[in-house]
Amino acid sequence: MSLLDALPSPRLRWEGRHPNTVLVSLSLIMLAALWILDVVTMAPNRIVQGTGYGALEALGWPGAILASLLLSNLGLLAWQPSHRHYRALLATVIMLMTLMPVGLMASSYLLIDPELPQARLGLGAAYWVVLFVLLLCLIEIRLRLNLTRFWPTLLLCGVACVWWLCAAFWLDSLALVQEFNARDQQFVRAVGQHLRLVGIAVCISVVLGLVLAMLMRRYTRLQKGAFAVLNFLQTIPSLALFGLLLAPLAWLAANVPFLGQLGVSGIGTTPALIALIAYSLLPMVRNTYTALEEVSPDTLEAAKGMGMRAGQRFWQVRLPLAMPVLLEGVRITTVQAIGLTAVAALIGAGGLGTFIFQGLGQAAMDMVLLGALPILMLALVVDAGLGALAEALRPGGTR
Amino acid sequence: MIELSHVSKRFDEETAVDDISLRVPKGKFCALVGTSGCGKSTTLRMINRLIEHSEGEIILDGQAIEVYDPVKLRRRIGYVIQHTGLFPHWNVARNIGLVPRLLKWSATEVQARVEELMDLLGLPVGEFAHKYPHQLSGGQAQRVGVARALAADPDILLMDEPFGALDPITREKLQDELARLQARLHKTVVFVTHDMDEALKLADHLVVMREGRIVQQGSPLALLQQPADPFVESMLGGLERGLKQAALTRVKDHMTSMGPTLPAQSRIPADFSLRQALSMMLRDHSDRLAVVDQHDVPIGELSLRRIIKEAQLDKGNARE
Repeated sequence: MSLLDALPSPRLRWEGRHPNTVLVSLSLIMLAALWILDVVTMAPNRIVQGTGYGALEALGWPGAILASLLLSNLGLLAWQPSHRHYRALLATVIMLMTLMPVGLMASSYLLIDPELPQARLGLGAAYWVVLFVLLLCLIEIRLRLNLTRFWPTLLLCGVACVWWLCAAFWLDSLALVQEFNARDQQFVRAVGQHLRLVGIAVCISVVLGLVLAMLMRRYTRLQKGAFAVLNFLQTIPSLALFGLLLAPLAWLAANVPFLGQLGVSGIGTTPALIALIAYSLLPMVRNTYTALEEVSPDTLEAAKGMGMRAGQRFWQVRLPLAMPVLLEGVRITTVQAIGLTAVAALIGAGGLGTFIFQGLGQAAMDMVLLGALPILMLALVVDAGLGALAEALRPGGTR
Repeated sequence: MIELSHVSKRFDEETAVDDISLRVPKGKFCALVGTSGCGKSTTLRMINRLIEHSEGEIILDGQAIEVYDPVKLRRRIGYVIQHTGLFPHWNVARNIGLVPRLLKWSATEVQARVEELMDLLGLPVGEFAHKYPHQLSGGQAQRVGVARALAADPDILLMDEPFGALDPITREKLQDELARLQARLHKTVVFVTHDMDEALKLADHLVVMREGRIVQQGSPLALLQQPADPFVESMLGGLERGLKQAALTRVKDHMTSMGPTLPAQSRIPADFSLRQALSMMLRDHSDRLAVVDQHDVPIGELSLRRIIKEAQLDKGNARE
């Protein structure tokens, strides 16, 4: 797809199609945000509150006009939507996303005084609004073009690579980059801790969830009680649960030498994992149970009548048919655990939450972002990945 | 051969099947007919041990069914159910090959058998083998269901209202095909239905059930001629009974050699039923029809008087 395709062409004629009001209004919102809100903020050092700059100051005349043209182009294309126009819309959205760090480079060139090495650039409200709305546009376009989740995800990964490259090589003045450079080792370690906590918790919950769901199918009386307990666990605020675990675990660690040697303690990884698993069990068990129960009785009856043994019926019929709903449970559980792990930083379990709480403590919002943005990205990636997997495993491949 | 003697099934206090005795000789087609809840499905499912009977004896090829391992027993009995029960996550070829694979046939044997069966049931392999059940029409799906039941070439076929969920035209087409298949394969079939016309059309042996008991059994013609009680009579269609009986008789069995004058224009193929002949007479205001062979060459004639006389004769025969 070339740039020419993305620009409105003079050959367009009214073809009796209704405007896509969603995309038209979204493009108007972005235009308004670009001209009304601050595009970037600039602060002479880390502590001082930054001053905001509008589109003209931040991007210069050429940049502001280019951005406005591209945004208006979205609205114009959406006014007479056709398959071709939706593809052009997709190209425009991706181009806008790719150009966003370039805009920051322009601001950095225009606004940062080379005499002030401490000066840092922050993303203004307009940037966040435009980014968020562009993502919404992407969802709308994906639905209209009837694409699977795979292609938009791949395109977004490409965009993310471009951002990463820009941040690594040309955006030293960006506050986020400065925060990262100041603690890159720590950042990598935190991401590792975060992933490990989530990974272990989700793996254990998946196994426990499967076992529990199967037990509940066998012993129906267990079902009510188990769901009541899991529901109750879900209602305890996460901080309270950490607090509740503190004393008993500390006592266990002190009095049972074996557990102490294993690394069990009142704070750190152990209570974090226990809490994460406790919260993960409900969505996991609920989805697994429903998934296994919802398989059509006709199909199972046929499987039995054809002479399949109980094991064959479970592994070849019940489980594969339950898989999409079951994976949905894994997806919900994982996304939830990624978010919850942030809170676990409070009890010394590490992870990306560390930056959030440190940043809050030091009133350094950019440091909070350094923790929050990767958590958001992780959640989005996992969500898209597992969603795509569940889609691919639908019975018959096409439904 | 399948033989049920004094078989009952009780669920707690309730008796679903009450002391039924029934014999289906090898290669015969037996239809169980009755209103819903009369125990006909339960009877069928006791034969492949999806439900265990409480009393009496079910004998399959000379041995009581308790002797067989239920799983192995089911693998040698074809089973077709109303909503097909096809596995939605498997394509047509894989669905049909299920039982042969359970019996550990080699992959090439399975594939050859699947293609043979798809051919037999009029499902072009190239077009259907890789389709999934949700991409099929109701009729196509039930063809696959029948093919799956026949896959390991079982001697016995159990069919539980297989065409109940289909539209009338598709249902009739599949009934005709089943009749054609049965004429060729000679399976021992037990067929459950609530549709008396379907049963009359397909069965050699008809069993009418009510509230867990057998009310009457016998050949379709025998039941039509002498229903045991008002219930069987109403099941057989009350006043429509005469027409149903006519539907079971072929024109060629009642035609006479051509008379001196050839009836004007109405012609009926020899393998049509007397019911169709009667309908044609009503339509064409004629009491005589020319009977033709498949090349439309007249080979005899059929008169209204003759049809009525034959019916009286049949009735006389049945009484004896």
